[in-house]
Amino acid sequence: MGGRSMIVCVAHNITSPLGMTTAENYAAVKAGMSALKHYDGLWGLPEPFVASLIDRKAFTDDRYTIVEQIVIHSISKALENTGIDSASARVLFILSTTKGNVFLLDKRETGFPQERVKLGVMAKQVSNHFKNPNESIVVSNACISGVCAQIEAMRYLESGEYDYVIVCGVDVQSAFIVSGFQSFKALSPDECKPFDANRCGLNLGDAAATIIFTKKDKVTENEWVACRGAIRNDANHISGPSRTGEGSYRALKVALGDLKADDVAFINAHGTATPYNDEMESIAIERAGLAGVPVNSLKGYFGHTMGAAGVLETLLSMQAVNDHNILGTRGFETLGVTHKLDVSNQNRPTNKRAFIKLLSGFGGCNAALLFAKGGLHD
Amino acid sequence: MIKHNVYISPDKVLVDGKALTHNEKGSALLTELYRNNVSDYPKFFKMDTLSKLGFVASELLLNAEGNRDFEPREDRAVIFFNKHASLQADTHYQSTIQDPEHFFPSPAAFVYTLPNIVTGEIAIRNKYFGETSFIVVEDYDEKIIERNLKNSFQDPMTKSIIGGWLDCLDEEHFEAKIFLLYKD
Amino acid sequence: MDELIYKLKQEIIEALNLEDMKPEDIDENASLFGEGLGLDSIDALELIVLMEKNYGIKLKDPAQGKEIFKSVTVMADFIQKNRTK
Repeated sequence: MGGRSMIVCVAHNITSPLGMTTAENYAAVKAGMSALKHYDGLWGLPEPFVASLIDRKAFTDDRYTIVEQIVIHSISKALENTGIDSASARVLFILSTTKGNVFLLDKRETGFPQERVKLGVMAKQVSNHFKNPNESIVVSNACISGVCAQIEAMRYLESGEYDYVIVCGVDVQSAFIVSGFQSFKALSPDECKPFDANRCGLNLGDAAATIIFTKKDKVTENEWVACRGAIRNDANHISGPSRTGEGSYRALKVALGDLKADDVAFINAHGTATPYNDEMESIAIERAGLAGVPVNSLKGYFGHTMGAAGVLETLLSMQAVNDHNILGTRGFETLGVTHKLDVSNQNRPTNKRAFIKLLSGFGGCNAALLFAKGGLHD
Repeated sequence: MIKHNVYISPDKVLVDGKALTHNEKGSALLTELYRNNVSDYPKFFKMDTLSKLGFVASELLLNAEGNRDFEPREDRAVIFFNKHASLQADTHYQSTIQDPEHFFPSPAAFVYTLPNIVTGEIAIRNKYFGETSFIVVEDYDEKIIERNLKNSFQDPMTKSIIGGWLDCLDEEHFEAKIFLLYKD
Repeated sequence: MDELIYKLKQEIIEALNLEDMKPEDIDENASLFGEGLGLDSIDALELIVLMEKNYGIKLKDPAQGKEIFKSVTVMADFIQKNRTK
């Protein structure tokens, strides 16, 4: 890609139950730790569930909701020592969330004005905190939002309108979200088992993750480049994954482009551990000619962090490649999808420098994004 | 380049600037538009108001374009913007879980608690495999929509977009200002 | 039993927003999914909620629905045997 400018990651943070920085989170995951725990009776829910939840008590600034506080924490950490002036009109904030402050709809919640349930108003709290003069945009594309927000950031930088785009993905669990997934019979009663023969559902998780991008003409070998991505629809069903993996297959094809499958270290899949999602991904990966590439899922460590997942899983994948490592898929034992995917529950070595982040979600949407350390070389 | 546009509010319908006559108002208007212009897609009745609004608006838009063949295609995107995300569906779902004595979370209500579901409904109806996306902003802002949609043509396959403003607060308050946009 | 079948048809129409349908339009022996009423996976989940809400029946395994939701008659029969309200 000599001569063409590239979209480069300049700073990042992960705030989750496993740590308050990207490095802490990576170390915990590499060591095989999981934040998934059993909860019974929490938030008055009649059915028990397993989730990865942030300690709400650690966030004490009562001007902001728990969601806003986690976002502000994550963005502040990412901005540390970067010299980026968040108050500059050349900086754009993009949030990625599915449900934001939705817990405020519960009539028992009285601490904050109802206005804050609107995602744009929530985003304004955040941009005001950082004294940013621009209107933030909030990408709300179900579970693929975190990758969509990064694709939006790439496009805004490509068009030259901004010098930096700060992308923060967030979701915080509540009775609203957990009961909804329970009504869909989509939650596993135990820790989830991505791609496993005995998988029976997903776990939900809290997290915020921030990635800051800029455009550069030259990149060094150690800089992470967001190369290309796509969002595609299954055009099949609003909640059931496609039986042919249509959208994921098409998104993967664009993301891979002319790169050889052999140059991809791994595909970090959605791997929610619901029977249909993981099966659909195996079909899509096979169809895209990527069945030989190692596949992993990080849901066994953090659960499904919804709006945060696309950013959080991207950042951990970058750390893994930096560490010449393919992270193990926690919870996986025996392959239980139709197409033979290369999945392991152990960390494995790699010397390759590129990976694909893949996601799919309600509304039939799918997204894939290719990242390469040092950029792609012709 | 904008080829066609549709405007729907609770008491007004414009297709390419021309007013459409109607008898109903509010969400009943959406049902009337469905019956007069679509009529063979009973899934419409399962949708939340935001999806009904987007569905009938896109049907009017595509009827204005003409030559509908429902052949699968990947070169058309569906990208909407609004202020209230899926607030009406959220409030409805919350009502199914608010009372601990009458706690029956509804999956059919929950699935619509995501604003992008409407983009999926339109993709399913028309077999669009292209990009679908939903963006929430604090208030209507033509510039943000314009810039964003222009950027969306950076996708290597997107040649046209069903895009614009699609907002719904409740059955009496909604607004669709959508158009069919072609790559320059 | 006939009364329950009629009531169930009304409840299904309401819960699944089967606009323009009357209880008389549903053949109680026809399949609810696929070719019959053409219901989908979300409808199946909603029928599980209906059984719990109106008849106090909790399905432990959603896969059970496949058998129970074969037709309105089968569903009514299951409800009669298992209802707690």
